[in-house]
Amino acid sequence: PLVRRVLHTTRPLHTTQQSLAPVPPLPEKGGEVRHGLIPEEFFQFLYPKTGVTGPYMLGTGLLLYFLSKEIYVVNHETVAAACILSVIIYAIKKFGPRVAAFADKLNEEKLATALAMKNEAIQALQTAIEEEKKEQWRVGGSSYLFDAKRNNIAMLLETNYRERLLTVYNEVKKRLDYQVAMQTLRRQKEQDYMIQWVEKNVVQSITPQQQKESIAKCILDLKALSKSAHAAV
Amino acid sequence: MNLAFFDQFSSPSLLGIPLILISMTFPALLLPSLSNRWIPDRLATLQLWLINLITKQLMTPLDKKGHKWALILTSLMIFLLLVNLLGLLPYTFTPTTQLSVSLALAFPLWLATLLMGMRNQPSVSLSHLLPEGTPTLLIPALVLIETTSILIRPLALGVRLTANLTAGHLLIQLIATATTALLPTMPGVSLLTLTILLLLTILEVAVAVIQAYVFVLLLSLYLQENT
Repeated sequence: PLVRRVLHTTRPLHTTQQSLAPVPPLPEKGGEVRHGLIPEEFFQFLYPKTGVTGPYMLGTGLLLYFLSKEIYVVNHETVAAACILSVIIYAIKKFGPRVAAFADKLNEEKLATALAMKNEAIQALQTAIEEEKKEQWRVGGSSYLFDAKRNNIAMLLETNYRERLLTVYNEVKKRLDYQVAMQTLRRQKEQDYMIQWVEKNVVQSITPQQQKESIAKCILDLKALSKSAHAAV
Repeated sequence: MNLAFFDQFSSPSLLGIPLILISMTFPALLLPSLSNRWIPDRLATLQLWLINLITKQLMTPLDKKGHKWALILTSLMIFLLLVNLLGLLPYTFTPTTQLSVSLALAFPLWLATLLMGMRNQPSVSLSHLLPEGTPTLLIPALVLIETTSILIRPLALGVRLTANLTAGHLLIQLIATATTALLPTMPGVSLLTLTILLLLTILEVAVAVIQAYVFVLLLSLYLQENT
């Protein structure tokens, strides 16, 4: 794949789609390497002429040539080189997979936050849609609501009218009761006055003679009664 | 080519052309070039993560004005890290073992922090010469001492870096020579020296990283004081 890290002016204007996105995906694995250093293509390149052992023979031969002709002199640097290279190789073998997993985790987290944002937005929109649908259904049932409200109001009006009717009735009754009470009072008063007048006249008409006669008769009656009472005891 | 002990510290030149510039700019080529992908390959991810970590660490104690230094401090840190670590490979030349390189990095940057402080807030800058709570009798002596300490800072920065790296490289060479010399006569002792060399190499890796960090950290500290 063409690497597109070029200036915009050198971008082919009319021969390709003029957009930088979507970027082609990265390959799954890097180039194949043997012994961590030498690309596989080198081995494939030498395979037709020399077979499988070709590159190894080349390497060994070169190394021995350098050593024997003292083009490469074994001195203290060799020992130092052996040390540092062993440290490097040990570090890579031991921590390599962990570092790769760490890098992958970083990328995963980036992707995950973006995906989470996207999903949250979708979720929010979904709930908004459902809310909207519910609101629409609610609006559909509003005629029932209005009927109930109308009934309510009619009942209120009716109650109010009845109450006022009752007040009127009570007021009228109070006035009529007052009149009735006045009449009874007047009749009572007349009756009392009449009785008093009759009693007064009767008491006045009792003469002294009649008084004496009636007292004597009472005494005689009492005596007779006491005699019969004595006898009973 | 039989090497004397100090050959690795001589400035490299090919046919009279000094190669020090190449040795200083080559490490930058090893860093993966950033593509404009949102999720890049592993190497680029790790590099981005490292740069973020370094920048955050350096910039947190500084205030807004100090953030202008983010780029230079981070790139300085990456440069020193790379150069120091690459110098541990055999037959390589570490530019920071040259005093000229170290001082050339330390002096201008230190001077820049000093001048910034003196120019923008001279009284605050000068007040750093006298720490709080010193008894009155000691004040003159302490001002002199603090001035000396300020003036010595760039030298200290540069020489610290150079001395640490040079000493490390030299030790590696010496112990490696000892191992090579003892190998024919006393292989057992040779093995012992080899073990020491291994441990020393691990130490040198650590020193390489730490020295880079200390350099940049101290610079940011001087910046903090003067911003």
